Amino acid sequence: MIDLAQELIQIKREGAAAVLATITGADENGGVEPGQKCLIRDGKIKAGSIHDGALLRAILKEADTRLREERSKLVPLEIPGTKGRAEVFFEVLPSPPKLIVVGAGHIAVPLVKMAKILNYHVTVLDDRLQFANRERFPDADEILVGDMAETLKGIPITPSTYIVLITRGHQYDEPCLREIVHGSAKYIGMIGSRRRIKACFQRFRDEEKVAEEVIQRVHAPIGLDIKTETPEEIALSILAETIKVRRGGTAQSLSGR
Amino acid sequence: MDTIYDQVKEFLDKGETVAVATIVSTKGSTPREVGAKMVVTAWGEILGTIGGGCGEADVRREAIEVIRTRKPRSVRVDLLDDISSDSPAVCGGIMNVFIDPWWKEKEGGT
Repeated sequence: MIDLAQELIQIKREGAAAVLATITGADENGGVEPGQKCLIRDGKIKAGSIHDGALLRAILKEADTRLREERSKLVPLEIPGTKGRAEVFFEVLPSPPKLIVVGAGHIAVPLVKMAKILNYHVTVLDDRLQFANRERFPDADEILVGDMAETLKGIPITPSTYIVLITRGHQYDEPCLREIVHGSAKYIGMIGSRRRIKACFQRFRDEEKVAEEVIQRVHAPIGLDIKTETPEEIALSILAETIKVRRGGTAQSLSGR
Repeated sequence: MDTIYDQVKEFLDKGETVAVATIVSTKGSTPREVGAKMVVTAWGEILGTIGGGCGEADVRREAIEVIRTRKPRSVRVDLLDDISSDSPAVCGGIMNVFIDPWWKEKEGGT
């Protein structure tokens, strides 16, 4: 078990995503026993004490769903080739969500601080060194300086990436959005007035024939409606929206008022 | 950031058997979510929490048995029972907890 523990620690260090499946109950003739395990990473079995190939395939399939939903769950599985059933607990070890903040202005400062409290891995990007620097962002995991749209090209974007476009002007946000809108980011939010955003989306439709469902993925104007007034409040409203997208929920008051 | 598995490994390195208790399913209102874990050592020391209160004490007792027998077991913790008690841990739900012994030489497979 020490190898498995080591493997789990390693996964956490690397910020990788994985699923640990554990048999918690099984019919007697099923050929598996409670406590048997299997660790899945990148769609492959990394370690484990389950040897039945057909059962492993069923586990791999379910693990994929669990990882996508980011939700641990107890799942009853038929043991292939037998009439037996096994209860399998799928423990999801999610990759920490990555937040890319494009634009290092006055909203970005509280946004990055709060995002670190929320355990995001945070990258700040701006084309101005006097804004994108360690003094302003002591908590950021990564600070990048360079042409924003160009730099975004080189950043790996996965389904656990959240991108916030809050540059100093729409002429910067829009090329950045073009760069990422077709990617697999879990969340894309863009700041701006309704009028400018409408115009931007219209250009997307006209010039580039961007599909409507792609445009609909963009959260713009960015954030939840909590009548924000200060940069700190705007930062909170943006982060609350990323959590809503990640976890689900209505963003209504739980009291119903 | 250290995970619960860093702590598990430390015990395994020392040659100790520990019990890893995980909430695998819940019904109704429970203090912690599915996936929450605690580790119990042979001396009954607890690391992490599955919500505290009477339920946790029950699981701790079972976990010590799991370590002794080196056989996993499932425990149903009924938080409905002690609704009359003043414990803040009373939530009114049910949680199923899987308690699994871990020791160094047990087959983990790599």
